[in-house]
Amino acid sequence: MNQSTNTCQNSSDGAIANNKHQEEFLLDGLAPAHEEFSLEADTVEAQLDHEPVQNSLLLTNEDSEQPEASAQIDFAGMDKPVHMVSIHNAVGHSQAVPFQHADTLLESLEAQDVTVHYQCREGYCGSCRTQLLEGEVHYTEEPMAWINDDEILPCCCIPKTAIRIKLT
Amino acid sequence: MPYTTFNQNTFDTLKQPMFFGETVNVARYDIQKHKIFENLIEKQLSFFWRPEEVDLANDRKDFNDLPDHEQHIFLSNLKYQTLLDSVQGRSPNVAFLPIVSLPELETWIETWSFSETIHSRSYTHIMRNVVPNPAEVFDDITRNDFITRRAVSVTKYYDELIAKNSYYTQLGEGTHTINGKIVDINLRDMKRTLYLTMVSVNVLEAIRFYVSFACSFAFAERAKMEGNAKIIKLIARDEALHLTGTQHILQIMAAGKDDPEMGEIAASCKEEVRAIFLDAAEQEKEWAGYLFKDGSMIGLNQTILAQYVEYITDQRIVAIGLPPIFNAKSNPLPWINSWLNSDNVQVAPQEAEISSYLVGAIDSAVDTEDFGDFDL
Repeated sequence: MNQSTNTCQNSSDGAIANNKHQEEFLLDGLAPAHEEFSLEADTVEAQLDHEPVQNSLLLTNEDSEQPEASAQIDFAGMDKPVHMVSIHNAVGHSQAVPFQHADTLLESLEAQDVTVHYQCREGYCGSCRTQLLEGEVHYTEEPMAWINDDEILPCCCIPKTAIRIKLT
Repeated sequence: MPYTTFNQNTFDTLKQPMFFGETVNVARYDIQKHKIFENLIEKQLSFFWRPEEVDLANDRKDFNDLPDHEQHIFLSNLKYQTLLDSVQGRSPNVAFLPIVSLPELETWIETWSFSETIHSRSYTHIMRNVVPNPAEVFDDITRNDFITRRAVSVTKYYDELIAKNSYYTQLGEGTHTINGKIVDINLRDMKRTLYLTMVSVNVLEAIRFYVSFACSFAFAERAKMEGNAKIIKLIARDEALHLTGTQHILQIMAAGKDDPEMGEIAASCKEEVRAIFLDAAEQEKEWAGYLFKDGSMIGLNQTILAQYVEYITDQRIVAIGLPPIFNAKSNPLPWINSWLNSDNVQVAPQEAEISSYLVGAIDSAVDTEDFGDFDL
């Protein structure tokens, strides 16, 4: 350890003293005399009969930012819920967005710029309480907040059919 | 019927109403009339936290740097929250436990009230860290007119119910002369008092707290008093669960399936319930005026806070099945959602900024001056 450090550090005075040890401190031993050293073999390009494949080594086929191939995530024991969500707001304006890219209805709406009130996002505070006008939802987690028969908690459910909801 | 701590009667728990049935004897949870209360208990237990987990070392410096009017906002809010949690740490036990009839509900009330005592302890933790003499702040709670005035409306329903309960458990129904005063005790009137008490508790936890929360988070939005905001966040998470609890109790009462007489009472009290919500909203708006009497804080003023009170009041009254009062549609403080969201509440010791965990670790606080001698 000590000696190898010397080999590396000494520039002038210690170099001669350590010279006799040089061979045993080369990790790979001396390069074989018959092997020519070159940075890049100049024959490689000529041998290629296909496109360089470097890109595919660096990038995956799927773009994790835009998972187009699987627009919908899986829910155990259910078909992938690809349903339209029609939204009516208090002033009579309405719009429709698909349920996609999300674990819950709340996330799907937020991802598509629909503002929904929220607080706990776990089903116990009831801030996201929303009126369900049509359709059915499936709760991925048992809702704990009080909900009336015609209401849902978007933070812990996903649509089972196409649904129509009313946001306040 | 005199109160007994262990009711010797044999009865079917599932046939008891939530309140004013047989007093609970065996604390058993194998059969439950309202499963929601066990869910609430489990959730509340999973929320357990200790104030000491949150390091407030930076808050003292922040507090000293605040201008006087902002120190007034901060301390006044803490005083008011201390009052509210002092009430909530004991009153549910004193008022509801003598008359509760379901074991799961009894345990929920105890679990609920216990978590309020954690909040009370956290205020002392904050005061100890932020001000040189916490006693001055606490002593002012009973002397400050603005706070005591609100204490009356916070506690009057509790006190009325507790007084009636004690007559009822000693003397039973009927007209009694006590110290020369005639007291009429009948069950229907007591149920009415209970219902209104529950509404006032819902208002306390669902509206009154939120003015203080808004101010604490407004400080933290400016990266001031962040340790305090961390504690308030944990408190807000608990309060969100508590208000769900009272909403469930109120809705079960109103539905009338649990106790038909309670359903009738709820239907006949709608105007009074509305008045309780309206009064609370007006008092909170008045309080906002007191908070900002010497000046507003960045990002929050009296008008916005008043709008927030109206918005939150509408949200809460709709949740118990009554029409909104103010028709406030949009949240004037949308940024508050992310502070109230418990997703990013971290309570594991290694995640929170606890000084004992930071010993020997590199301080992550970096001043821009540290980059002064850097050249690119």
